[in-house]
Amino acid sequence: MKYLLIIQGENSPELLERLLRVCRHRGFRVQNINGETTENEKSLHVTLTVCSDRPVGLLSKQIEKLFGITQVAAMGQEQVIKASA
Amino acid sequence: MNGANFIVQALKQKNITQVFGYPGGAIMPLYDALYDGGLNHLLCRHEQGAAMAAIGYARATGNVGVCIATSGPGATNLVTGLADALLDSIPVVAITGQVASNLIGTDAFQEVDVLGLSLSCCKHSFMVQSADQLGPIIEQAFKIATSGRPGPVLIDIPKDIQLGDAPEFTSLKVLATENNLSTPIDPSLIRQTREMIKSASKPLLYVGGGVGMANATQELRNFIQYTYIPSVCTLKGIGVIEHDSEYFMGMVGMHGSKAANFAIQECDLLIAVGARFDDRVTGKLDEFASHAKVIHLDIDAAEIDKLRLADLAITDDLKEVLPAIEIETFISAWQKHILTMKSNFANRYDHPGEAIYAPAMLRQLAEMKPADTVICSDVGQHQMWVAQHMFVDRPENHISSSGLGTMGFGIPAAVGAQVARPNDTVIAISGDGSFMMNVQELGTIKRKKLPIKILLIDNQRLGMVRQWQKLFFDGRYSETILTDNPDFVTLASAFDIPGETIVIKSQLQDALTRLLESDGPYLLHVSISEEENVWPLVPPGAANDKMMESLQ
Repeated sequence: MKYLLIIQGENSPELLERLLRVCRHRGFRVQNINGETTENEKSLHVTLTVCSDRPVGLLSKQIEKLFGITQVAAMGQEQVIKASA
Repeated sequence: MNGANFIVQALKQKNITQVFGYPGGAIMPLYDALYDGGLNHLLCRHEQGAAMAAIGYARATGNVGVCIATSGPGATNLVTGLADALLDSIPVVAITGQVASNLIGTDAFQEVDVLGLSLSCCKHSFMVQSADQLGPIIEQAFKIATSGRPGPVLIDIPKDIQLGDAPEFTSLKVLATENNLSTPIDPSLIRQTREMIKSASKPLLYVGGGVGMANATQELRNFIQYTYIPSVCTLKGIGVIEHDSEYFMGMVGMHGSKAANFAIQECDLLIAVGARFDDRVTGKLDEFASHAKVIHLDIDAAEIDKLRLADLAITDDLKEVLPAIEIETFISAWQKHILTMKSNFANRYDHPGEAIYAPAMLRQLAEMKPADTVICSDVGQHQMWVAQHMFVDRPENHISSSGLGTMGFGIPAAVGAQVARPNDTVIAISGDGSFMMNVQELGTIKRKKLPIKILLIDNQRLGMVRQWQKLFFDGRYSETILTDNPDFVTLASAFDIPGETIVIKSQLQDALTRLLESDGPYLLHVSISEEENVWPLVPPGAANDKMMESLQ
């Protein structure tokens, strides 16, 4: 299954690395990544497309736990298509 | 005031009185500040020992354990201890020196990317980039280590920041975060939980380490006294329920009791409290408690539905949840069945011949030990025998590397526990394999004159691996035969630790008495047969009711 994750956090030098490590370790392959820092590098916004046999809740709940992450939204492929239609 | 002095002041303000560590180049400024800074520092003889002593300290008291190491190899040596603390959710703050800021990324002497290393073995980690970050980062580190599901936090501090000017220490700011505001538990969840418990005819409590960590041991005991629901526990849950509680069946899982494992398979409602459905508990997951609805109570939302889908979950503080879900039950047939199983499958300690039978010895020691004794176990067969046959009545009194299963844990954990609780008896129970993995910590015992009682159960094997080789690898004993072990009593004597070796049952009573009554440390080295195995055993991939109980 393919999922879209929209993630916001308080930026730190290792936040992106932290995020990607959790994706890999919990069994999700990153297929697309877009991100940028805003507010003078204080915030980080990342959108990820990930793929896994596991339900996305297993990943989003681990990401929510990361210190510095302020918001996570996860959508399945069908929801993404509907949202963009 | 320089950065290093600031760190010492900040630790003192966090009510830290004791730290464990090992000096080195990049942490020298902090050690200079420790020299007359008013904190007790115990030199361990390896950074892994320092991390595990901090864990033992934290687990024996419920307070934060602090360990300190230098950059590079000092920090890499901490990593196993930090991973151990992560898997067992132990609040530890680790402080590492780092090479000076201008040298980071140049492959400088003793430089390694510690922040990068720490990502997979810490709850969180920081690298301090300026002196004015020191205060907020230390404050956050302690908060993260202790809040929610506890865990280890690492602070990496470049040498120039330790040496440079720091803001005058006034006091750390109290962080106001949303975590401080507790929201009331959803009343509909409480109502549904009570209804599920009331309508169950075979409810079972599955109690993990989270109960002790939530400081909710009394609340859980009250819940049991009110509901009389039968119970089992995990390795980390040992001590939460009184060992002689009427419907308590002991540990569940791979080496759990028969009654516990059968009860899990038969129950129609499983109430998991501060437990996480670990594979060593569940056996074949699809068949674990397959007739049961599941209520999952855990502070960590990421544990809900991770392995077993819960019919109902509450992630609020157990201290508040447990009193709210007390309800009268009518389960006398189930209770009677549990008592029958407990009696039919009770542990037996009769054993033929003269050779010492470790389970019986441990039971005897448990009965002889003073009431508030801390037992620190190493990892392997002896660890499972301790869990099965010894008993404690406080979770802080059973310290065992549960999630990570770290050999070499027992001795340094006992160091930390004994430092934390100088007036209580601390017994380290180890095997001949595990003992050698952090044997240098005998030097720490000598240095601090810690009266730790070491019980070394020696089968001249890596016993648990040998058992699996016997059962599942056609008896091909690859690298598990340790007949070339050192003379352990002589080894201990080199650290001024007296001891003796015993080999037959008739020596036991007197030797255990000498162990417990020794003023200082003592090593009781017990030779046992290499043929002894841990039973019962749920073989890999099998359901919990498919227990092996002998070689046949």
